[in-house]
Formats: sequence, C-alpha cells, structure tokens
Amino acid sequence: MATVQTEQVTLTVNGQSVTVPKGTLILDAAKKIGIDIPIFCSHPKMAPVAVCRMCLVEVEKMPKLQPACAVYVADGMVVKTTTEQVNKYQKGVLEFLLINHPLDCPICDKGGECPLQDQTYQYGPGASRYQFDKAHFDKAVPLSDKILLDRERCVLCWRCTRFSEEISGERELALIQRGVHTIIGTFNDEPAKSAYQGNWTEICPVGALTSRQYRFISRPWDLDRTPSICPGCSMGCNIQIDARNNKIGRFQSRENLAVDDSWLCDYGRYSFPNFQRQSMERPRVRRDGRLEEVAYEDAIAFTVDALKRAGGQAAGWASPADTNEELVLFRRLFREVLRSPHLDHRSAAVPDAEPDDMSLAIADIERLDCAVVLGGQEVIDAAPVLHLRLFKAQRKGLTVLKVGAGQVAEAVAGVRPDCTVVGILATEANKAAAVELQSKLQRKVKGSVRRLLVTTGPNGRGAKDLGILPHLGPGYASLNGQAGKGRTEWPGAGLRALYVHESSPLHGFTPSDAESMWLPTLPLIVFHRFKPSPLDEMAHVILPGHAFTEKDGTVTNMEGRVQRISRGLDADWVLEDWRVFQEIANGLGAGWAYESVADITAELVGSLPPYAALNRGERVLWSEPG
Amino acid sequence: MALAKATAEQIKDLAARYPSRQSAIIPALWAAQHEQGYVTDEAMHEIAEHLGLPPSLIEATASFYSMFLTRPEGRHDVVICINAPCMLRGADEMVAYLERQLGVRDGGTTADGAITWHSTIECLGACGGAPMMQVDHRFEEDLTPERIDAIIERLRTTPASHDAEPKRPSPRPRAKKSQN
Amino acid sequence: MAIKPLLTKDFATENLHQLSVYEKTGGYAGFKRALEMQPDELVELVKKSGLRGRGGAGFPTGNKWGFLPKGMYPRYLVCNADESEPGCFKDRYLIEKSPHQVLEGILIASYAIGCNLAFIYIRGEYLPQTEALETAIDEARQAGYLGKNVLGKGYDIDVILHRGAGAYICGEETALLTSLEGYRGEPRLKPPFPAVKGLYGKPTVVNNVETVCNLPHIVLNGADWFAAIGTPTGRGTRVWCMSGHVNRPGNYELENGTPIRELIEEHGGGVWKNRTLKAFQPGGASMMVLLPEHLDVALDFDAIQKAGSLAGAGAMVVMDETTCMVDAARRYVKFFHHESCGKCTPCREGTFWMANLFDQFEAGDAKPGDIDLLLDIGYNIDGRSFCPLGDASTWFPRSVIKFFREEFQEHISEKGCPFKKSVQEAVA
Ligand SMILES: Cc1cc2nc3c(=O)[nH]c(=O)nc-3n(C[C@H](O)[C@H](O)[C@H](O)COP(=O)(O)O)c2cc1C
Ligand code: SF4
Ligand code: SF4
Ligand code: SF4
Repeated sequence: MATVQTEQVTLTVNGQSVTVPKGTLILDAAKKIGIDIPIFCSHPKMAPVAVCRMCLVEVEKMPKLQPACAVYVADGMVVKTTTEQVNKYQKGVLEFLLINHPLDCPICDKGGECPLQDQTYQYGPGASRYQFDKAHFDKAVPLSDKILLDRERCVLCWRCTRFSEEISGERELALIQRGVHTIIGTFNDEPAKSAYQGNWTEICPVGALTSRQYRFISRPWDLDRTPSICPGCSMGCNIQIDARNNKIGRFQSRENLAVDDSWLCDYGRYSFPNFQRQSMERPRVRRDGRLEEVAYEDAIAFTVDALKRAGGQAAGWASPADTNEELVLFRRLFREVLRSPHLDHRSAAVPDAEPDDMSLAIADIERLDCAVVLGGQEVIDAAPVLHLRLFKAQRKGLTVLKVGAGQVAEAVAGVRPDCTVVGILATEANKAAAVELQSKLQRKVKGSVRRLLVTTGPNGRGAKDLGILPHLGPGYASLNGQAGKGRTEWPGAGLRALYVHESSPLHGFTPSDAESMWLPTLPLIVFHRFKPSPLDEMAHVILPGHAFTEKDGTVTNMEGRVQRISRGLDADWVLEDWRVFQEIANGLGAGWAYESVADITAELVGSLPPYAALNRGERVLWSEPG
Repeated sequence: MALAKATAEQIKDLAARYPSRQSAIIPALWAAQHEQGYVTDEAMHEIAEHLGLPPSLIEATASFYSMFLTRPEGRHDVVICINAPCMLRGADEMVAYLERQLGVRDGGTTADGAITWHSTIECLGACGGAPMMQVDHRFEEDLTPERIDAIIERLRTTPASHDAEPKRPSPRPRAKKSQN
Repeated sequence: MAIKPLLTKDFATENLHQLSVYEKTGGYAGFKRALEMQPDELVELVKKSGLRGRGGAGFPTGNKWGFLPKGMYPRYLVCNADESEPGCFKDRYLIEKSPHQVLEGILIASYAIGCNLAFIYIRGEYLPQTEALETAIDEARQAGYLGKNVLGKGYDIDVILHRGAGAYICGEETALLTSLEGYRGEPRLKPPFPAVKGLYGKPTVVNNVETVCNLPHIVLNGADWFAAIGTPTGRGTRVWCMSGHVNRPGNYELENGTPIRELIEEHGGGVWKNRTLKAFQPGGASMMVLLPEHLDVALDFDAIQKAGSLAGAGAMVVMDETTCMVDAARRYVKFFHHESCGKCTPCREGTFWMANLFDQFEAGDAKPGDIDLLLDIGYNIDGRSFCPLGDASTWFPRSVIKFFREEFQEHISEKGCPFKKSVQEAVA
C-alpha cells in the first residue's frame, strides 16, 4: 500500500516549535511537545464539542480565546497556553464548575483519579466566591443494575451522551432539560439496556457515573494494577485488573487500538466477581468414595498412577481460557507422554479450523467497504466489542449487512459488486456458511473477501493454533492418520480416564446429557480447576489451579493476536498449573525441565515460528491473507 | 393514554414531510400536546415509535423547549411577561393584580380549572403593547386592571381554546379570526 | 431627512395580508422579475445593493449567499422568524401585516441561491403569525407562486413552515438548524459555517424576516436605488421596535442614518409623563446601554457601535428617570439565565450566578464586593462562551455598572431598591 503523504504544518506553542500533520487539533499538537492543556469534555474518540471551555488558549491574531480541543492547527500559528489571561480564565471555569458541584470528594469513587479534583488543585481558584444555595439534583440514581448516576457531580461534559450516540450508537443516554437544569439520563429514568455501560464510568471525568459493583470498595491509590486480557471472549480486549488486598475491585480498560479501541463490554467488565477466590483449597483425592485433602505430591502421584493405567485411553480437555503455555504442555503430556490422541478444547462439534479463519483483522474492519455479519446479533453477543468497531466503521461509511446465519443467498444479493474489500464475520459454529459466502462473494465482487471467525473463550484461537484438537497438530498440521476422538464422541469411545483443565468459570466443562451418563462410568476423572463446580462430585482427583486472573502467560484472540496475561491476584498456595503438568509428565518418565513460563513461551516460539508474533504483540499470520 | 388515531396518522404524515423524519419531533410533540393538553411519557414513547427514533431523543427535545407542558393545566393558559420592556410599563403591577384576581400563585390553576397562569421572563414579542400577556397563545396588549378583569371574565365562561378548534392542530394551523 | 418607508409603505392598506390585495400594491412583481433573471445576476444585484442582514449581526446578505460552495445541492434557505430578543417585535409586525411580502422575499432568495425547499422557522409563541403565514403559503400555492414549475418558469420551490416551541437560543442560526433537525436547540461549532454544512449537512442560508422583506423592493427598483437610501455602511431602512417609557411605542421604519433623537422624540412622541430620559438601549436585551448624550447618534450599525453599543435586531428600549437600572439589568440577566441552553460552562453557570447576585441586590442582601464580583463573572463569561448568547448576557449589566454604579451602591447601602417604593404605592 502506498503511504499517503499528509501535509505538515509548523506552529509554536509557548514559544516551542512543533510540526504536525494538517488536521491536528491544537490540543494534540501541544501534547506532542509535552504541553498539557486541561480538558473535561474533549475525548480522543469523540468529535470535538468544546462545551466545557476549560481548554481555551490564546492564539495570535484571533480576538477571542480559542478552544484547543476544537481548533485545528494552521501553519505559523502562535499558541499560548499559560498567559495571565488563560490562567485567570481557567480559574474562572473551575469556579463555575464548582458552584454547583457537591465537593463530596471524600466519599466519591472518583476521588484520587478525578480530573476535576486534579485540575482544581493545579489551576483552580482558592476559595469559592459563590455564596448561594447550589442547584440541587438527584444523587445516586440507579441508571441500571450496573450504574449509578450522581447528577450533582455531573459537569455536563457530554462524554457519556456522545458515547451513546457516536460510539455505541444506542442513543440511550440523553441530555434532558436545559440551562442550569440540564441533566443526563435515560428516557424517563428507565433502566439502561446498553451492553457497554461500564465505559460510561471510565469516560466520565468526575464521579457522576460509577459502577455499582465498585462503589466504595477502594480508593484509586490503594489499588494494585495489573495489565491483562479480558477473560470474557475471544475479542481479547485489554484490561487492567485493579485489586486491593487480593480482592478484585474492577476490570478497567487498557487501550489497544488494534483490538478494543479502548472499550470493554459489560459482560467482560463485570465478569470479575467470578474470578474472586472464595476459599483456600487444597488438592483432594477420592478414597473409599470420599474426597480427602492431601498434599500436592500425593495427589500428583495418585494421578500419575491412574493415568499410567489409562495410557492411550486417557482423554484431555483443556479449556479455551487456558494460556498457550499451559496448552503446549498439556498437548505434550497427552500426545508425547501418554500417547493419547484424544485431545480437545471444544464443547460442541464445530467445523475444522484453519488459518484463513482470521484473514481479516479486527482493526481492518474500518477499512472494509462492506461487512456481512452472518448470524447478526448472535455474532455480536459472542464478542460484544465487535459492535463498537463495526459502528465506528459504519459512521465512516462502511455498509453493515446483518443477516441470519443461514441467509447466504440474501447476503450475496446485498453486497454491491464494486466493493473493494468485503469482510465476513461469523461465529466458528457457522464456519461452513461463512466459507460458502466467501467463495460466492469472491466471484461476485471485484475486490477481496476476508473472514473473521469468532472463536470461543479468550484463547479458543490459541487452542486451535496449538493443536488442542483430536485431528490436527500444532499449526494445523495433519496427524497422519493418528487422529483421536473429539469431545462429543468421548462417551462410548471406550476411554478410561478424563483430565479436565479449566481456568475460567466462564468457559468451563459443562457436561452434556450424554456426558452425565458417561462420566460416572469412568475409572478416573481428574479435575484441575480454579473454582468448585458440580463436576467435583464425580472427580477422583481435584487439583486446585490458578484462575485466568492469577497467572502469567499468553493468549491468542480471534484474529490471532497473541497477548500477555498477568497475575493480578496471588494464590501462592496453589501450585502453578504448568508445574502440575510437568510433574505429572515427569512422574510418567518424561524428564521435562521448564523453570518458568518464559521457558515454555520460548519453546513455543521456537517450535511454531508464526508465534514469534507474540513478542511484538502482533497477529499470528500463518500465510499471507488472501 | 394512547394518542388518538388521527394524531398518530398526522405524526406519520409529518415524518414524510421533511427530508429527515427527526425534524418531525417538534411538530409531533405539538400534535400530542394539542390532543392531550400536555406531553405524557406515553405520548413520547409513541412518537418515538412512529418516527423510528429512540425515546430518549424525544424526551431530550421535549424537555428543552419551554412550551411543552409536562402536566395537565387549566382550560386556558395565561402567560404574562415580566421582562424589562414590560417591567418599564408596569408589568409587575399587572402581575400582582392578576394574582390577586385569580387567587392562585404564579404557575397555579384556578380552583374552577379555568385558568393556569404564570409569569415569564421570556419576552413574548409585544413590547410595543406592554404590559402584555398571551392568552391561549394570542396577544393581549396594553393591559390595565379593567382589561384583565374582562379577559378573566371571558375565560371563565368559555371552553378550552383547543376544544373550540377543529381537531387539526398545528404545525399546519388554519388561519382563523382572532378572538379579540 | 425624508423618510420613505419601503417595507411598511402599504401597511395602512386594509387586508394587505390577503393575496389579492397584496398583488394590487405591486406584490409578487419582484418575484416575477427575479424569475426573468439568472440566479447569479440576483446574487450580484443584492451584493451591489449593500443590503446587510437585519437579524442582528448585520452581515452583507449578498456575500452570505456567495459563500455557498459551487455545485453542491440540495441547498436550503431558512427564514429566521424566531424573533425572541427582548425589545424586538418587528418580524412579528412584518408577518402579521404582510405575510406575502415575507414569502415573496423567501421565494426570491431561494431562486437566487438555487434552493428548492425553503423553511420558515417561527417561534412557538407566534401562533396568530404562524396562522397568517400558513394561509399565505396556501394562497400562494394556489396562485402558482409556489410548487412545481412556478409561473411556468421551470423552477420548483416549496416552503415548510416550522413552529418552534419556546427557546430564545433557537434564533441563533446554528441552534436554529439543530432545532429544525428535531434536536435540542443547541448551537453548533463554527466552522463549518451553515453556508457549507448547514441543515441536514447541506449548504444553507439563514436570513432574517426583515432581510428577505427588502428583496422584492431591491429587485424591482435596482441596486443603485437601494444603495442611495441610508448611509454608506447601512443601506436602506430598518424597522425599529420602540418600547418602554415613550408616548407612542411601536414599530417605526426609518431610513438608516436617522438620528436616534428623531425616533424617540418625533415618532415615539418623546418620554412619557413629561419625565426626562435617563437611558436607552438599542438593539435588544443583549446590547449596552446608551445615555441622553448619545441621542444624536445615527440609527446605523457602525454609528451605534462607535457610540459603545450595537444596533442588533433593531430594538429601542427607552428608560425614564424613575427606572431602576439594577432591576432592568436583573430582568435581562434572568432572561439569559432562563434561555441559556446549558451547553457551555461559562454561560450555564455564570448566568445562574449572576441571576442569584442580582436577586440579592433586589432583596437588599448584596455586599460591597458584589459589584466587582459581577464584573468579574462577566469577564469570565464574555468571549469565553460557546455562542454569543453567553457573551451578550454580560454586556448590558456591565454597561449599567459602568454608567450607574451608584445605583448598585444604593441598593447595598439602603438594603433594597430605592425605586421600589413607588411601585408598592401603585399596587396598594
Ligand atoms: C442568541 C442569538 C439570538 C438570535 N436571535 C435571532 C432571531 O431571533 N432572529 C434573527 O433573525 N436572527 C437572530 N440571531 C442572528 C442569527 O444568528 C443570524 O445571524 C441571522 O438570522 C442571519 O440573518 P440575517 O443575515 O438576515 O441577519 C440571533 C443570534 C444570536 C447569537
Ligand atoms: S455524567 Fe459524567 S460523562 Fe456524563 S455528562 Fe456528566 S460528567 Fe460528563
Ligand atoms: S468483547 Fe469480549 S474480550 Fe472484550 S470486553 Fe467483552 S467479553 Fe471481554
Ligand atoms: S453561550 Fe449559553 S446559549 Fe450559547 S452555547 Fe453556551 S450555554 Fe448555550
């Protein structure tokens, strides 16, 4: 692709010269040379509105102060951000904002990370000269089961309403009334239904919109913050795990422009209580029908013995929420040590996976001219933040065609032949239809057609790439006739042991009816997991494992981007899951000597070269996408 | 209370009249208020449906404009201006007189349900005839206590203005003889 | 100076609002003449005439039309009939007396700019005027001035009359367009200007009622004829809305350049009740107060600006010696507070604060520092607001503090309004 040469302009800000592309806002040009201009309403993802007036600066030759958040640079522009006039006025705006603000910082969830508080400290007036009753509004209005609104703290920056209009397109939040009586709200204060409400709390520059779950749990400065990946789905949105005293307070977004564009969905964001460990568990082994607590060594020895007996008739189920590193060892344990081909991570039979399933990158949705969402809302529900990317692209001119999973003919008819890049989005369950549509469209349109299949769990893609499948090896390599049975075929396949590894209660092993009949007949069930579940009742060995939020490693999202997850909570008494695999393998005579997760990662990159992408945070490209 | 069929039809017609159906929000609110006397939540919901827009948008708009009423009022609507040009010519005295004659405070409705009155700081565009008021959106200028008495007398004995009109409310009102 | 009314010359004619009567006075001849011309010629004609907008800002009308980007259609014309500036009632008068003149002006402007769908945005409070325009539109449609292929000249034009619902800010052109699109009437960022990206994102011209009323006359009589009336920077006439303490309040159309004294003393019959003039305010609620010493200033955009105020929308509010200037300012400030759309911080919060302070003066609770506090709040609003409403909310009160500071001080020292007593006596 030819790079487009954008015109550059040079201006000075506070005497410092800076060169930026034409079309840059004064605010961003100043930021580039480290000059911060205070803002409330401005947001990089939203069109400028210039309503808060905090960012007014002097621009030579312009009679009035200009909003830096809404005025574009021009060649030779002379901007001053710290003159007496500007400073006086910044005090003025803050004073205006505070006259109707409750100043209840000590009990506000935003306290400590509040731009209003910070800017008042930095630029604000001393004491207020306002001596009247403040305008009173409702406090603690429940906007939904997730969000509380404090109308007194609201500074009417329009960020939340713009999010509702420009980012999610739901137009659920609106400004109501006018003038000093203006408030934000849903229609008639009816409960909000948006799937993206948590974002409102992050963009709100004050403590007006807060999460009900997080309320008063902690002050921001008390939090331990760990960068990680959302465990919710295969989108792989980047998060920060905020915890205090080993308790999760919240998941916050951590912008990755290529993936989440800085947003999270409520399903993912508010899934964090599922990852709160409730008890200090120890391994257990079933003896005389009763589960007894034992030391790790004993549990492992018991497992080794039992697996030895099962050998090639042991089946292994790894969850789509396991890390790639765990999956590498899990596969080696089964394929190399136990010599069993019965490996799976899926819950249902789905069509074969292949690298072409991710030929379309998430961010490239913005470069399509038509996107077919095969399965409609079902696809969005499987990875909700996809909707935000689609909507963003739609506002820039993308045509989005939502059709039922079976409506291939309708989809073909709906795509204009002159399209240059068409994308197909579907869940992996509907792969066959997606492939059919792709080949039909390829014949119809003049440009290229790519697809992106939504996989399961935060690492279903990794599980496929690494061969946690009965019939394919790492890198989709053929097993040369050595294929085993997939999970749905296990009941009745004459198996003698089942090892279930589960890292997330959101993507666990939920027995089907057939499995419920079959499980009690098995001589050995090893259940290696983070949280108690009904499967405990049937297990012979229970090995506590680490949750998705308690470990280090990498996971691969639906588009093949390999991203790191990190330990946000401690559970030191739990032996790391990969060590358990290694000790079992070694008990079976393997002689592995991994010392850390990093060792495994290095081996993974070495043995599967496309995974070298992980060191760059990039996508695994199995071949040049078509 | 659902909107009458005719009102609903009218709203759909309005949507087709403008290059964007959203432009029909204010006319639709007028139609609803004209039929029901004020704008109910249910009416806003219905307007949203007819126009294919989210209801929050209808409320956002309705609540912005001062002429959309959110609660039922008297049969007649009296609004008296107290902005400077009227103040200069004795609006405060007329307000005091009106309040005394009607026996209810600013914003209230007379016990017989005939008149809701309120003062307004929003200039109504008749400063040349100050002090002035609007009665059912029609101008009454050069007010004196005597004129106020005559107007009150008339209003107490006539039905609501919109009952007297044909059921074809604005935004395309017919011209008709002024009542005064 | 000889006064020849242009727009109001036939206003004494009975039933002028009827099409047939309007036609008898020469109505629609201008539109017919315009249709014989090329649209570009019309734009040039209006540029040459020097007509400046009568909505408040005084922008040259022909130039505004000339800003429309070439080749971009559809284009819209919106006639601004939202007249809500306190002190103004001229557009109402022009509509009531001669709705067809307004319509004819709209048709000429539409043809000149290549617009096939024009809008009239009329304030919600003007119900009888809405009805008058609606009837005029129906009559004009039946007579073939409006609709497809008007007068057989191959030009299509329709007009939608859109009624507002009570919001002064909708007179500001970008807020008006936002409101016409169905939203809350909040102003928009400029640039892009409406000429480039206006109604529904399309090139749009917004013109005031009085502005368009000039067009039939300019088309019929020519640019030179029009340019000969008034002053070099203020061609033609203006309709002045006189109110307050004069003997004959009302609308007076005068040639630009006429001294203010003539308007107040001759046409208005002088200050009422044989009292003396204390102050007057041209332009409307937004504009700065002027004093008797300014009586010989000419009624003209530039002359009034030089004197320290603005001609604005053509109001003239006259105040006699008994006027409490603090109370007058209080009313305007409360008006702006009521009408602030709430979009930007300084106007939303600042007008609220100023209104509270003024109530405090009225109630006799003001403290000595409050006068300077008012000035400082004004400083923090003016030039910092999103749109001119916020800025303008401070102009009158600040000018009153400048000229009548002692009245504020008296309110403090006497713990209340020194003028109120007379009012109380009158009510009792
Ligand atoms: C707060 C505010 C209120 C305004 N109100 C009106 C109005 O009621 N009528 C009007 O014609 N112009 C009004 N204007 C001016 C318009 O923005 C616009 O300049 C005018 O309609 C253009 O028409 P003209 O060029 O014919 O004067 C207002 C401006 C502001 C800032
Ligand atoms: S609730 Fe928060 S984000 Fe929304 S307008 Fe108020 S301050 Fe801004
Ligand atoms: S889209 Fe998926 S990864 Fe992103 S926040 Fe939602 S659940 Fe988490
Ligand atoms: S100055 Fe006032 S009216 Fe104008 S945008 Fe700001 S709040 Fe609204």
